Amino acid sequence: MEYFLNQLVNGLSQGAIYALMAIGYSVIVGVVGMVTFTYGEIMMIGAFGAYYVFQFVGVNLPLALLAAFASSFVLGIIVYKLCYERFFNAPRHISLLCTIGFSMLIKNLVQIVFGPEAKPVLNIIDNRTFSIPLGGAVSIDLKLLQIVIMALVVVLAVTLTLFFNRTKSGVALRAVSQNKEAAYLMGINVKRTAMLGNCIGCGFGGIAGILLAIYYYTISTTTWGGFSMKAFSASVLGGLVDLRMSALGGLFIGIIENLGITISSATFRDMFAFGFLILMLVIRPQGFASKKGSRV
Amino acid sequence: MSELLRVDNLSVYYGYVNALQNVSIHVNEGEIITLIGGNGAGKTTTLMSISNLVDKAEGRVTFRGEDITRKAPDKIVKMGISHVPEGRKIFPQLTVYENLVAGTFGKPGTTKERMNQLMEQNFVLFPRLKERAKQAGGSLSGGEQQMLAIARGLMMDPALIMLDEPSLGLAPIIVEEIFELILRIREGGTTVLLIEQNASMALSIADRGYVLETGKMTLTGTGAELAVNEDVKKAYLGA
Repeated sequence: MEYFLNQLVNGLSQGAIYALMAIGYSVIVGVVGMVTFTYGEIMMIGAFGAYYVFQFVGVNLPLALLAAFASSFVLGIIVYKLCYERFFNAPRHISLLCTIGFSMLIKNLVQIVFGPEAKPVLNIIDNRTFSIPLGGAVSIDLKLLQIVIMALVVVLAVTLTLFFNRTKSGVALRAVSQNKEAAYLMGINVKRTAMLGNCIGCGFGGIAGILLAIYYYTISTTTWGGFSMKAFSASVLGGLVDLRMSALGGLFIGIIENLGITISSATFRDMFAFGFLILMLVIRPQGFASKKGSRV
Repeated sequence: MSELLRVDNLSVYYGYVNALQNVSIHVNEGEIITLIGGNGAGKTTTLMSISNLVDKAEGRVTFRGEDITRKAPDKIVKMGISHVPEGRKIFPQLTVYENLVAGTFGKPGTTKERMNQLMEQNFVLFPRLKERAKQAGGSLSGGEQQMLAIARGLMMDPALIMLDEPSLGLAPIIVEEIFELILRIREGGTTVLLIEQNASMALSIADRGYVLETGKMTLTGTGAELAVNEDVKKAYLGA
C-alpha cells in the first residue's frame, strides 16, 4: 500500500513533466497546424542549454530554466523556417518528413558536438525527503525535487494561461490556431504569429527537457525520441490542441506508468504508457476533450 | 465621389478551372456595391483575390490608388479593407468579447479607449452580442454568429467592408435585420461591397451592382436598373 502510494506520488511528479511537454506540444500543433517529430530533440537542446549553465555558471536553477527556454526557443525558429515556412503551400506530409529528418540531424549533430555519452546532472536540487504520515504505519515520501517540479509546472501552466487569455498576442495566437484564414482577415501576421507560437511551445519543451534531466540525474543523447512520443501521446489524449486536456493526458500517462511498474518491472514503463494510449483511443477516440461549447 | 477600390481584368484559375475571367469592378467611397450571381459564379473568388488569399493569374487591384495586387493579406487588411468571409469564420473557442478584440488587430495603434468606443458602437448595432460577450463564439446561433462576424469586421474601423453572403442560411426576419444593418454601416461612413445570392434584397439597397456568371461579368448598372432588367429578373429574382 505504501509502495503504491509512493508510486502515485512519483507518477504525479513525472506526470507533471509530461504535462509540461504535452502543453508545449499542443501549443505547437495548434498554431502551426501540424504535428512535429523534432520535439524530442528540442527538449534535448533545452536540457543541454541548462546543463551548460550548470557547468559554467554553477547551480542556478532560474538561470538554467531560462537558458533551457531560450535555447529551445531559438531552435524553434530554425525548425519553423526550415520545416514549415518553406513548405507552407506544399502537401502537409512534406513538413512532417522534414521534422523527422531534422530530428535525426540534431540528434547526431549533438553527439558530434557534445559527445555521445550521457552527461550527469547531479545535486541540482538537494535530496531532502519529507515523510508525510497518513495515520497508522502508512506514510508518503515526498522529495523536494518532486515538490519543485510540480510547483514549477503549475506556475508555468498558469503563466501560459494568463498569457493566452489576457494579452493581445495571446488572443492572436489563439485566433491563428483556430482559423488561419480568418486570422489573416483580422490583419494578423499569421506566419510570424505561428512562428512565435511554435517557439513558445518549443521553449516549454526545453524546460520539460531539463526537468527530465534533473529527474533522471542524466542527459542522454538518444532517449528523447521516447519522450517525444509521450508528449505526442499526451497531446493526442487531449485532442491535440486543447492545452488543459493535453496536460491532463500527460499527468495520466505519468501516473499509469508509475502504477503499472508497481505490478511488473520498470522495463515495462513504456508499454503501460502507450498501452494506455491505445486503450483510450479504442474506447474514446476523441480523447478526453468533449465537444462542448462548439455548436457551429 | 472618389474611387476607393478598383479591380482591373482579374483572372483566377483553380488548377485548370477558370474561376474568374477579366473581371473589372470599381467601388467609390460611400457606396454600397453588390456582386450578384449564382453558385460558382466567382463572387467569393473575387473577394478572396482582393484580400489576396487566392493567387491571381492576371489583373490588378488598387486601393486608394495604391497597387495591392501582391500585398500580404494581413497588410491589405491594415490598409482599411475588412473582409467578412463566407461562412462567418468566427473563432469558436474565443469569447464574443475576444472575437471583437481580434478585430482590432486589423488596425494597429487602436487604443484601449478607441476599442471600447468601437465596442460600444457595435453593441448598439448588435445588442445581443453585449448579452453574450462572455460566451464562446461557437455557442452562438447562426444569426448571432453572422452578426459577430460583421461586428468583428467593423472593429478595425475600416474604410471598406466586404461582406460575403451575410444572409446565407439565416431566417428571413434576421436577413432583413442584417440588410438594415448594412444601411446603417454605410451611414456610419463605411463603404460596403456586398456579395449576395439574395439578389432582390441586395439590389434594393445597393447603389450599383455587378452580375457575375460563371466567372464572367455579364451586366452592370445601378441597383434599380438591375432590379428591373429582364435577364436579371429571370435568372436571379425568380420573376
